[in-house]
Amino acid sequence: MSFLEIKNLHVTVDDREILRGIDLTIGQGEIHAIMGPNGSGKSTLSYTLAGRDSYEVTDGAVTFDGEDLLALDPDARAAKGVFLSFQHPMEIPGVATMNFIRTALNAQRKARGEEEVSAADFLKLIREKAKLVGLDDAKLKRPFNVGFSGGEKKRMEMLQMAIFEPRFCIMDETDSGLDIDALKMVGEVVNALRDSSRGFLVITHYQRLLEYIKPDAVHVLAGGRIVKSGGPELARELEKSGYEQFIEAA
Amino acid sequence: MSKSLLINPSALEAGLEAAFAARSKTSEPQAAAFQRFSKLGFPNRRVEGWKWSDFNAALRKPQEKGKKPAAGEIPLSPFAALHPVEIRIVDGQYQLPEGARPEGLRFRLIDPSGTIPEFERHPMAMLNVAMTGKALGMQVVEGAVLNRPILIRHINTGAGFTFAQTLLRVSKNAWAQLIETYEGGGAGFYSHLFHTVVRDGGRLDRLVLQDTGGDAVVHGICAAKIDCASRFDQTALSTGARLARHETHAHFWCEQSSARLNSAALVSGGRHSDFTSDVIFKAEACETRQLHKGVAKDRGRNVFQGKFHVERGGQKTDARMAANALLLSDDAEANHKPELEIYADDVECAHGSTSGALDEDALFYLRQRGLDEASARTLLVEAFVGEVIDGIGDEAARYIFRARVNDWLRNEA
Repeated sequence: MSFLEIKNLHVTVDDREILRGIDLTIGQGEIHAIMGPNGSGKSTLSYTLAGRDSYEVTDGAVTFDGEDLLALDPDARAAKGVFLSFQHPMEIPGVATMNFIRTALNAQRKARGEEEVSAADFLKLIREKAKLVGLDDAKLKRPFNVGFSGGEKKRMEMLQMAIFEPRFCIMDETDSGLDIDALKMVGEVVNALRDSSRGFLVITHYQRLLEYIKPDAVHVLAGGRIVKSGGPELARELEKSGYEQFIEAA
Repeated sequence: MSKSLLINPSALEAGLEAAFAARSKTSEPQAAAFQRFSKLGFPNRRVEGWKWSDFNAALRKPQEKGKKPAAGEIPLSPFAALHPVEIRIVDGQYQLPEGARPEGLRFRLIDPSGTIPEFERHPMAMLNVAMTGKALGMQVVEGAVLNRPILIRHINTGAGFTFAQTLLRVSKNAWAQLIETYEGGGAGFYSHLFHTVVRDGGRLDRLVLQDTGGDAVVHGICAAKIDCASRFDQTALSTGARLARHETHAHFWCEQSSARLNSAALVSGGRHSDFTSDVIFKAEACETRQLHKGVAKDRGRNVFQGKFHVERGGQKTDARMAANALLLSDDAEANHKPELEIYADDVECAHGSTSGALDEDALFYLRQRGLDEASARTLLVEAFVGEVIDGIGDEAARYIFRARVNDWLRNEA
């Protein structure tokens, strides 16, 4: 049984077909990178996998652990272990950060039939992980992401990923807007989670994140289709030659 | 009875007129006030300032019979936890507490206000002045800082009409906390007029919870005169009623004073909440912060009208107003009217108003993190209203208000 299997996925947004037949299989323990020019459908793929309802699947199928992923609500997908690190994380005024993350963690655990994490254990956990991603206590006490820089918002995404320990992580341009130290931190979070039970889909424009996260496979997405797949060397090649050849091909 | 002063009176208006005529003791100013009301009648939607809250229409509907409670049926107030001085006005009857009063607080029943010049063209105020039999007079003496809040519970259980007046004088350098709750399952009309004067260096923190049954028609007026270097801090939460309007008229008479006038409305079903306010800046360097948050669902209606009026003498005024509405269904309504009227040239005044549905992006974000749809919606609405509730200075009171919001969200949202 494959871990994540995408077959002939067609997705329409606002009556425009963005994904035009994606086929992709990610095995347990694997990291796949998706690269591609602007507008090629990378974020559409991540939102579709996470269950955003304005993204209409017109054809194809996605299974996760053999189960029809597309039939599940976004929260049910989260409980199964699907995590999306957002390209543009939200600011949510009035929502207390720690309270929200704990509520989310316990909602996922409850849905899986696991015991809830106590307030004391959670505090210990969030402090430890906040240190790992480089967010100080004062940031955790603010309303969610309010007044955060772009880099801090990405750190908050990594904090949640480290706390939830999801089984399948979709990282949508997590590297955009990050400096070298922050890129290293992202690498550390991913490598700490990386094991034979998990999978990662890393969406990026640039090869530099892949210096820290070694992918098992690299795919080029252009015009709503995967137009080329290869090993880590493909990312280096793209860095040199750009996407132009693929835009023309798509 | 002499010929009716009212034109085409409703059953309620005719009843009011008969009740007024039958009273044994009426002062001359009260007679004059009734005459003014008779000329104006209950305000309707054609009158500016009342177009979204038509009392004439609401009171012409036949009233349900309210249920009179048996003695001892009045539930414990959640604010009892704050050990307040609890005063009840039950169907118009004042119930003053026995036993020791906090040092520095005096209160007794007195004759009502004879006349209020600034309200002579305000029909509801004139009606209250004319009809109120007794008033509750309270005073916090000079320099006193009350160690317990005053809790006034306006409880209405019947039909018909009920009037009350309360007066509070906060003397120089005194500090009082006043909590007022409008409660009960009555189906009648309740009118309450609250006058307060906050003298030099004084401070009044007032909390209002409008939380009656859905059949009530409630009208509250707060008239606050704010002296030198004093503060008036008010937060109100309303779950609406058939029609519930709470007005605040704050006058800055002297320099260096400040006010906060925050409100939140949570209206569902066919409930209607109206917060209307008017702040007059007559003196220099006064400051006001006003924030309104309204949440409406089903056919609920959230009305906010706020006005800052800066007179020539109000130089260096610093006043900001914001009103935000959240609409949770297609039939819900928000009516906002923020206004500035400025006659001084060296002021900082701002106002803003927004309305919209829940942010779909935020909703998706929360659900992607594992919250089911209902929990995600609840969290976002709670966060929206939270800004008003978080402004309540007293921690215990803030907790009770937040609990009421959560309760509403669990049961209504």
